[in-house]
Amino acid sequence: MIAYLIRRIWQMIPTLLGVVLLVFFLFNWVGGDPAYVLAGKMASPEDIANIRHQLGIDRPLWEQLWIFIRQIVSGDFGDSWSTHEPVSQIFRTRLGPSMTLLIPLMILETAVAVLMALLVSAFRGSLLDRSLMVASTMVMSISLLVYIIVGQYVFASVLGWFPVKGWSQQLSQNLTTYAVLPVLLGLLVSVAPSLRLYRTFILDEVGQDYVRTARAKGVSETRILWVHVLRNAGIPIVTNLLMGLPALLTGAFLLERFFAIPGIGREIILAVERSDFPIIKAATVYVAMATLVANLLGDMLYRVLDPRVNLD
Amino acid sequence: MTTTMRSPGLWTLAWRRLCRDRVGMVSLWVVLFYFGVVLLALGGWLAPDWTREVGVNYAPPTWWMGAQESENAPVVPTTAPDNVAADLYGLQDPLASEFAAMHAAYPNEVGLPPEPPRMQTLPLGGDKWGHDVLTKLVKGSQTSLLVGFVAALVATALGTLFGAVAGYFGRWVDDAFNWLYGVFTAIPYLLLVFAIAAVLQQRGVVTIILILGLTGWTGVFRLVRAEYLKHKSREYVLAAGAIGASNMRRMFVHILPNVSHVILVQLSLNVVGFIKSEVILSFLGFGVPVDVVSWGSMLNEAQNELILGKWWQLAAADLAMAVLVTAFSMLTDALRDALDPKLKQ
Amino acid sequence: MINHMAKRLIILLGCMVSLAYAATPEKVLHLELSAAETGFDPVATSDLNTAAIEQQLFEALLTYDYLARPVRLIPRLAATMPVVTDQGKTWVFTLKKGVYFCPDPVFKGQLREATAQDVVYTIMRFMDPKNRSPYKFLVDGKIIGLDELGDEARKSGHFNYNASIAGLEVLDRYTLKIRLKTTDYNFSHAMAQPMYGIVAREVIESYAGDTASHPVGTGPYRLGRWIRSSLIELEKNPNFRHEVWDFGSGSDPKLGSDPKNNPDPADARVIAQMKGKTIPQIDRIDIQVIEESQSAWLSFGKGELDMIGLAGQFAPMALTGDRLKPALIQRGIRLDRLIDPSIAYYFINQQDPVLGGMSRERIALRRAIFMAQNDEEMIRVIHKGQAFRNAYPIPDGVEGSDPNYRSVLNYNPREANHLLDQMGYAKGPDGYRRLPDGKPLSVRYTTSLSSQDRELDEMMKKSLDRLSIHFESEKLKFPEIIKAERQCRVQMRLSGWIADYPDGDNFMQLWYGPHIHENNGSCYQDPVWDRLYEKTLTMPASLQRDTIYRQLARLLELNGVTKVSTSHIRNVLSQPWLLGYKAHPILPSVWSYLDIDDTQRPKP
Repeated sequence: MIAYLIRRIWQMIPTLLGVVLLVFFLFNWVGGDPAYVLAGKMASPEDIANIRHQLGIDRPLWEQLWIFIRQIVSGDFGDSWSTHEPVSQIFRTRLGPSMTLLIPLMILETAVAVLMALLVSAFRGSLLDRSLMVASTMVMSISLLVYIIVGQYVFASVLGWFPVKGWSQQLSQNLTTYAVLPVLLGLLVSVAPSLRLYRTFILDEVGQDYVRTARAKGVSETRILWVHVLRNAGIPIVTNLLMGLPALLTGAFLLERFFAIPGIGREIILAVERSDFPIIKAATVYVAMATLVANLLGDMLYRVLDPRVNLD
Repeated sequence: MTTTMRSPGLWTLAWRRLCRDRVGMVSLWVVLFYFGVVLLALGGWLAPDWTREVGVNYAPPTWWMGAQESENAPVVPTTAPDNVAADLYGLQDPLASEFAAMHAAYPNEVGLPPEPPRMQTLPLGGDKWGHDVLTKLVKGSQTSLLVGFVAALVATALGTLFGAVAGYFGRWVDDAFNWLYGVFTAIPYLLLVFAIAAVLQQRGVVTIILILGLTGWTGVFRLVRAEYLKHKSREYVLAAGAIGASNMRRMFVHILPNVSHVILVQLSLNVVGFIKSEVILSFLGFGVPVDVVSWGSMLNEAQNELILGKWWQLAAADLAMAVLVTAFSMLTDALRDALDPKLKQ
Repeated sequence: MINHMAKRLIILLGCMVSLAYAATPEKVLHLELSAAETGFDPVATSDLNTAAIEQQLFEALLTYDYLARPVRLIPRLAATMPVVTDQGKTWVFTLKKGVYFCPDPVFKGQLREATAQDVVYTIMRFMDPKNRSPYKFLVDGKIIGLDELGDEARKSGHFNYNASIAGLEVLDRYTLKIRLKTTDYNFSHAMAQPMYGIVAREVIESYAGDTASHPVGTGPYRLGRWIRSSLIELEKNPNFRHEVWDFGSGSDPKLGSDPKNNPDPADARVIAQMKGKTIPQIDRIDIQVIEESQSAWLSFGKGELDMIGLAGQFAPMALTGDRLKPALIQRGIRLDRLIDPSIAYYFINQQDPVLGGMSRERIALRRAIFMAQNDEEMIRVIHKGQAFRNAYPIPDGVEGSDPNYRSVLNYNPREANHLLDQMGYAKGPDGYRRLPDGKPLSVRYTTSLSSQDRELDEMMKKSLDRLSIHFESEKLKFPEIIKAERQCRVQMRLSGWIADYPDGDNFMQLWYGPHIHENNGSCYQDPVWDRLYEKTLTMPASLQRDTIYRQLARLLELNGVTKVSTSHIRNVLSQPWLLGYKAHPILPSVWSYLDIDDTQRPKP
């Protein structure tokens, strides 16, 4: 086990290096030159050259790469090129709102999806099963963009049940007022795929021999589902959840943009539009590391919980 | 004489099971209908010229007309003053002689020619330019389905190829592909999209297909690799090796058919996913060029129209997409159930 | 007994009065910004949203009169208008006394007065290469001795703020003499920009590296709570001097520019609401960044925002034609419409190998392309009627504009096609026109990735289809577009320019040869045009200058360089409880001149 862990961590390094190199060369090749938009309306070529010098992008490529690697190790990516805000501060302050949105979303989505999956598994093949699955597929087939546009218009404006947009500094107010509509809209789109996946996991277990044995022993169907099947199906469900965590870092940028929530997804889009390399660098490195760690944890957890699985 | 009974193969059995699944069959018919429309549109028999502006701007749907007055300012036909008799302020016109010759040759052309009349309402309404939404819908279905399908083929082909090679050969080859997989999944999706678009330079449907294909192979890769890992040490493969089949043959002639049901399910999942992704790509600015219409471009236009009270393009594109995606997803489920009977109880 | 009761009554009355006094609620203004702010160091600012906030935090020497139209400069930090001598080369500014910076720990509890030395420091900062200021151009190459300091700093890496130069001479604590290298009558406009708001040296040096988060100015407001890209709160500056609202009526634009004889009746309302009140009336300003217009509009509708600028394409939500919808009028919402001092103009790259050059064939091709652009359709469909045709490079409201100018590039696809036929642009087998030598022809139109720009692509495709010319789209991120334009790689584009200051020169310089690779995106270098333009540089605003401007504009059309297309209408909606608002074309924000009547707000 330890050997496996060490081997995986060892493998992470070339992957991270690959990501770093890819992002660095991609950005320098096609990422765009921020100097022109920072220069303002009446900049002469000397002004542009000055900006590039101040930003440090007129230095040789290998020197910039070395600076990049040093930044990764130290965790300090400098300041945003367009707003001068320290990148670490940007991530620190925007992470909160994104999490306030996405963690309740994840919890609710998992809870609802698991409950519904158990429900349809208990009544598998019946009309309830089929109609719920068809309904959830239909709900999933509409784009999130449409839900946001229509939802904001209908529920916030016409009916007035929720505020149209906004964010406050208190967690409690955010959770009860501002995050509600975005979370509900996000829920609509994300429950269905999870439901279908979890249904597969659960039905996988229900078909196993131990369930038949339990039934033969006279254990009630409810107990079988909740105690036996769920525990076993829980393994892929939990690992699936873990692997989805890094997506939290890029945030649900559509929700953030339309509901004016100061989250990290919105910052990243802004940074890409403005060619603000420090933020893009930091975002890529953080997401890459989080993905690798989450994958590793997921694989390890899977192995620990289910000794039958051989990951090699 | 004994009659040899051929036991039905996997596909025949699956087909039979599918036929018994009512929801699956309905979905299949819906999907085939859409593909039929796409073929007709491709051939030019349906919606041949969606770019013609047949209606007034924002023409409401015919069946709904009368419920709302048009709130635009009345359409004023374009009148432009003549270019003659403007003061040159003492300067010389380099093209003076050309214009003089023109006015001599066409003395009766004054002002602008009259414009053809336009419909006040259209079956499913019109967009801001006056294009027929129904025609756009048909042409848009063609684009979206083609993009989704071809991109899914690209992604699945790539994923299968990589997965097969990685799973079969193992060791350092597997490590190399795992590294590639790690890098692709670690980079935020947005960045990858921007990067690929920037590298490919020109915009077009091909660019979208490549963006979707090059970012979507990872899911297929993981599954196919797992399957090949499982199969490569099975007896039939070892047997094939014993009789001298090459690696290529073993990979693609022997193992691949046994894995094809997994690949097929992934392919159809990808089709659905990519049709939906195309909408998001349009929102980000990476949609189809202006002479092409897709569901993504229609929804992107429509997002600003709802608040102005023009809901028909949004509703039409959304409904068409929702019906297809639902049908396709249900079909995928039915396929999966039909191909792997253990799952269905 | 009666005494006892009287005493109780007095105490009771006293309590009630003090309660009422204490219960006077804070006046809060709720606003939105359509794009995120960047940071509050004025030297680094270039976007209007940030400038709007800095206008309230900092004070420049001059500003614009709130009500006067056409706009007129008035003193702000200066006590009076500057004394200009030496044919516009020497400017003497005298500062107001008793102007204090808002409190900041750097001042160690002392009141810090603004002095002439602060003005010198503020101006010097713009030439410091480390600041890479986008608004450096307003003083670049103008002040004697300043450019040399900048060059030295570039070499040594350090700007010498202690140097004394001939161009910035401090005569006494409150008086400054600025000497320019050449005549520049527009220098006063530079000194009215919010970016040139006066800063204190010890503040900048103390917060070096993070000046964007510590704006310390002399303006009516100071920065309160700040959540980056999301929420900006401004609160009253406790050290702000006593100022009283006493603007006089501007002139009625329809009747002429003499306010005494033709006062604008709309101003009477504003004056009645605000005259005599101290500035600022509003205690706190709450600014939220809302990028999506739908969200902002819905929020305004619910009364969560007090004022909102309505982008053209959303105008039909609130307007029918050019009037507010009856439902909104009933609620007491007010509409302010003004003409943006800006132009939208098409240009074709004069250095482009396919479309550029001054041969008759190329001129004809470019003019034909311009003549195929249907501005009216664009105004109707894309701008929803919130723009109007303007063919003159200088827009309305800016010194030098000409409402009687008639274009020679009016929409006429028939003539355009005849012209192309005459000049040998025959159609090939694919139906598209080719160059006279038979090579293929296509026009590459550059736009950004936003969904609004997709409409521009659709329009251009229609225009080029009318001429049977092949349309090619180039979509780039906005920074890429700027770069390509500066490098003369953009073939054709619809560009725009908004006035930095309300003088025509700010617009005419867009086609000046030496400004190539800067903002001469047309890459137009014509010695005849340049010589004519240079004559205007030493002229004050006058009829002679206008005559030359007309010739310059006509030359641009005759040579097929540019077609000026439209000017835009700005729509601002305000709630009935917002008092004293009149939209100003140049000032980025006027919040300190407003008041709020909370009794008219709906009860929650």
